[in-house]
Amino acid sequence: MTPPSLRRSLLLWLLCPLLLVMPATAVLQYQLTLAPALKAFDRALGDTVISIANFVQAGPEGVHFDMNAQTERSIRTDQTDAISYAVLGPQGELLAGDPPVAEPPLTLAAHEWRFYDAQVFDQPVRVGARGVPCGVALCQVRVAQTRSARDRLRTDMLTASAIGLALLAAVTALAVPLATARGLRPLQRLSAQLGARSLNDLRPLTTADVPRETLPVVDAVNHLLARVHAGSAAQQAFLSDAAHQLRTPLASLRTEAELAVLLPHSPELTLGLSRINDAAARAARLASQLLSLARSDATARAVLPMAPLDLRSLGAEAAGEWVPRALAAGIDLGFELQTALVSGQPVLLRELLANQLHNALTYAGPGAQVTLRTFNDGGTPTLVVEDTGPGIPAEDRARVLQRFQRGAQASGDGSGLGLAIVSDIAQAHGAALALRDGAGAGAGGRGLAVWLRFPAA
Amino acid sequence: MRLLLVEDDPALADSTVRALQSQGWAVDWSTRGEPVAQSVQKDAYDLVILDIGLAGIDGFETLRRLRAQGSATPVLMLTARDAVEDRVRGLEGGADDYLVKPFALAELVARIRVLTRRAQARTEDTLALGALRMDLQARRVFVGAQALEVSAREWSVLEFLLGRVGKVVAKEQILQAIAGWDESLSENAIEVYVSRLRAKIEPAGLRIRTVRGFGYLLETAEPTP
Repeated sequence: MTPPSLRRSLLLWLLCPLLLVMPATAVLQYQLTLAPALKAFDRALGDTVISIANFVQAGPEGVHFDMNAQTERSIRTDQTDAISYAVLGPQGELLAGDPPVAEPPLTLAAHEWRFYDAQVFDQPVRVGARGVPCGVALCQVRVAQTRSARDRLRTDMLTASAIGLALLAAVTALAVPLATARGLRPLQRLSAQLGARSLNDLRPLTTADVPRETLPVVDAVNHLLARVHAGSAAQQAFLSDAAHQLRTPLASLRTEAELAVLLPHSPELTLGLSRINDAAARAARLASQLLSLARSDATARAVLPMAPLDLRSLGAEAAGEWVPRALAAGIDLGFELQTALVSGQPVLLRELLANQLHNALTYAGPGAQVTLRTFNDGGTPTLVVEDTGPGIPAEDRARVLQRFQRGAQASGDGSGLGLAIVSDIAQAHGAALALRDGAGAGAGGRGLAVWLRFPAA
Repeated sequence: MRLLLVEDDPALADSTVRALQSQGWAVDWSTRGEPVAQSVQKDAYDLVILDIGLAGIDGFETLRRLRAQGSATPVLMLTARDAVEDRVRGLEGGADDYLVKPFALAELVARIRVLTRRAQARTEDTLALGALRMDLQARRVFVGAQALEVSAREWSVLEFLLGRVGKVVAKEQILQAIAGWDESLSENAIEVYVSRLRAKIEPAGLRIRTVRGFGYLLETAEPTP
């Protein structure tokens, strides 16, 4: 079943009644204007009847009709139509005029009018007849007029009506769909506006230029957006709190376990204690990564503002924290930093870089080189973390971007969230993530290069 | 060495105190920030470990009061949030370093060592680390009792690095710090000075690590116990 269409139902309800009413109106208009016009013709015909009736005279020797030839000619002449007549005596006998007009016999009272259509000399005519008193008896005068003028009038009026109807129909057929489309345009604008929105844009829709009728829809959508925004802000606050609350006991657990390893203890406990220590460290990292993931989720992004940012400073800032860690892990961490301006959320981008460096330091292995590069690649701000470690086989690369998935040959104790976080945050910034082979592959592997190409700021 | 830990979670405080004591350090513990400024004045701590989330005045305010009274005691901030704003606020407020909970004990100990060493290295008129000593008044460098020949530029670079033991320093930073009176100095020149210094201070048990493409890190070759 196709969904109901506003446009179709509007068109249906506007056009159908209009299309039914318009021909009826045209017919009515034709009739209403034609009838008086025809009546005027009949009246003119009646005038001729009366002027002929003036020549009917009743004398002692009976009724007689005396019209001179000149009068008769003037009566019979007309601009367009041929006129014939008949004057009938009391017994219906033809006193003067044309025999065909005398047919058929009619009974008329004195001064009674009768107009009718008939055939005279094989031509359609209009006949005006009147009862005319002649002495004590009753005569009749009939005048027949061919119908050319009437027919022309009829044709003209029909044409005029038809043209009017056609014009009206054409205008309606054009205007109604146009008006419908125009009327529905605010709805289309609204849906286009909503459709073009990115997931993290929770700003209210503009109510400027919104017609009164669609305002309730826009208001309802804005209300919903506001609630989503408030909800995601509350969720952020909750997550931040939860991670915060989780950290202090984890810190305590970790310190306690590390301390136990350092203090004198029975040797068989060493393995267990170091495992507790490792587990606490992993749990802590997992808590902070889950927070990162929640932060980079679509709805969360709306809460954190974007700002102009140089990837170079981001990289330089990371040096202080990550070089000592790299040294401790036996890894040569180097930098090739050039200016690359992006629009981003500093918190998320630091998180992204931290996860990339953590991954490289964890998986590249001692003796490997890790290099952080930022540069403008033909106008594309680019951030690359490249290592000379074992790398990830091409067939595994898509999989490791998913949450909790690790490479088949991965060593170490990673949670499998690192690259998923990198991928999520990259997506939030419209950056393209690609896993490639490291350039100077060494240390017995192909190396891994994580490329992030940002939209130009 | 004497440390002050300001932390309001008793369990974490207790294990941290014991961990630090196991390093042979004397540790005092306070749950609140209010008395810190006064006790630092009285007891001359070598370092304060300050948690941000405290009941009463928080870590930031405690730090502000401490610095307001002119104390230069190194402060290591602890935070349970990894919000960058906290970190920046702490460092701008005069903290010397920060650590995000939960931290590895080894990392906490290492940071404390770096901070205290940095503080101890500098007195009124000397900078010292390992067997190296810079006499700031006489502008002379010694390895043990042996005087070391350094150029004026080398002196500036060494002074800058020695003031930032254990910290990654960008070449650019060194350049900005010493090039004030000579704008034509290049990063290549810095590399030359550093490589000369490297050879000269090695006998003092100091090492200048190169951070590829970025800068340097001055550390003691063998971590002091």
